Amino acid sequence: MKEISFKNDILPLGDLLFRLALRIVGGNRPEAEDIVQDTLIRLWENKEQLADINNIQSYAMTICRNLALDHKEKFENQNISLCETDHDRADDHDSPDKALIKKQQYETAEQIINQLPEKQRTLVQLRDIEGKNYQEMADITGLTLADVKVTLFRARQTLKEKLSRLAQ
Amino acid sequence: MMDYKYIEQLLERYWQCETTLEEEQILRSFFHQGDVPEHLRQYNDIFNYESEAKSEHLSEDFKQKMIDLVEEDTAVEAKTITLSQRFAPLMKAAAIVAMALTIGNVAERAMRENSASEVAGAPVIADTYTRTEDVKATIKVIDQNQSAIMAKADSVKTMDLIDEQPEIIE
Repeated sequence: MKEISFKNDILPLGDLLFRLALRIVGGNRPEAEDIVQDTLIRLWENKEQLADINNIQSYAMTICRNLALDHKEKFENQNISLCETDHDRADDHDSPDKALIKKQQYETAEQIINQLPEKQRTLVQLRDIEGKNYQEMADITGLTLADVKVTLFRARQTLKEKLSRLAQ
Repeated sequence: MMDYKYIEQLLERYWQCETTLEEEQILRSFFHQGDVPEHLRQYNDIFNYESEAKSEHLSEDFKQKMIDLVEEDTAVEAKTITLSQRFAPLMKAAAIVAMALTIGNVAERAMRENSASEVAGAPVIADTYTRTEDVKATIKVIDQNQSAIMAKADSVKTMDLIDEQPEIIE
């Protein structure tokens, strides 16, 4: 049985989990970090079981989503800001004007996605950002394949509609 | 004018959730390269966002904090030990003490036996012999006195005999 290492097997999942938690809690970074910390600790505490799990990534994302939903429910009224994200990543090679435009576009898109209901935005995150297939999406969220497709369809229709409205 | 039919078709299938992961990646690449016709530009933001959002990551400080947390946790991790394991050091100490006492006892006895036969043994025997001789001499003196008294009593036959105490008997 392969021995699980925190540094090599669990910690590298952190960024992926962080993005998922960030999506579920609507962009609050400290809250997302707390959720990731809890998820990583929980994975580490159950490291003996991890060796028998086929897809550790999906398993970790399921735990992260459940913790994020619990967290969100608990601290629903304490959320201060939905947009505390630092979006400097696009600024490196652009002129200040271009960088500002990019930053605005990024924030607009992020807001549109974050305004979707939780299931829809989680599925958008899994499919369009993390590149998961439908089966993996179903495994992580606990939804049926049919539910995954219907929910993602609704999410994309809403996105299309909002983008068209913004363009007018 | 460039033909964007393929992209338009892909885009239409994307909204219907009929595209594969690869086709969705083609769409993102198309919007990311920047040369996007006016009628498709409204979708720019969302596809570019999807490309860039994957670079969102945890800070190095956070990762280091997690490593420290887990290492600290591992260092003080409770170990399940049985009662016999818990008392093993005490039992070892007790065994060592018992062995030391036993060896000491045996050694002491052996030493005593040696000294009794080689050194202490002779004076004891000599002493016993001397005392036996003393007792014999005393008994002899008592016998002599008694004989003398009897002889005197026979010759004098007076009551004065009572006052005549043997001098040696004390």
